[in-house]
Amino acid sequence: MTRLNPAENGAESDAALDPKVLETIGHALKAHYDDLVSAPLPQKFLDLLAKLEEEERHGEAEGNPNANG
Amino acid sequence: MERPRETPMPTASFKDELVAEMGNLRAFAISLSGSASLADDLVQETLLRAWSKSDKFQPGTSLRAWLFTILRNIYYSNYRKRGREVQDSDGAYARRLIVSGDQESHLDLEDFRKALTKLPAEQREVLTLVGASGLSYEEAAEICDVEIGTIKSRLSRARSKLVELLALEVSAHRSSERPALRRAG
Repeated sequence: MTRLNPAENGAESDAALDPKVLETIGHALKAHYDDLVSAPLPQKFLDLLAKLEEEERHGEAEGNPNANG
Repeated sequence: MERPRETPMPTASFKDELVAEMGNLRAFAISLSGSASLADDLVQETLLRAWSKSDKFQPGTSLRAWLFTILRNIYYSNYRKRGREVQDSDGAYARRLIVSGDQESHLDLEDFRKALTKLPAEQREVLTLVGASGLSYEEAAEICDVEIGTIKSRLSRARSKLVELLALEVSAHRSSERPALRRAG
């Protein structure tokens, strides 16, 4: 089990790069990723989960405690 | 009325938690695969697998990290052979951005995205995990199944590569102007 402190070690490995440049990259990366995260989700994902949940409820309703398969 | 159950079923709140992580999951999938349509397939498979293995998830640990691990495994076992990397870039873009020493600068996002696609997959992945999605080095190391030191060196290489691709350099002069965006040739 490693016990390194992430914050501490992250900075050190980038010592060669200018902080300003790192900051610029960091901002761009975050902006790019946030765009991706906040993009509308395809309805099919929500439908899929709703279906899975429905199937599970259905299974439980019929649920036989002796279901050993 | 209590019913004995062989395995714990996913609860409604597990579903809600999955929904809450879906945006991040999709963002990671896109970053990993570089393709929105492939990403959707990956997310769909990940959701199915996560649902069927929900009893394997340990409450109190990061659901995001758990989902990312599943998605990554699916990606590498079904869609891509490990170790086959994207070709390195053929050079910097025809733009040079001078980062001014005294103010925040913003990269053109399209340039940045293009540069990201030119990174080796493992570097892009680490940037996404640690730099963007807010996971810890430990979590990233577990997801990628490597040592923390490897995560850190990949991250460092990824940043250097981006700097090179984007031809970023720090201006020696303090300037009140916006960061310059020049045509290199």
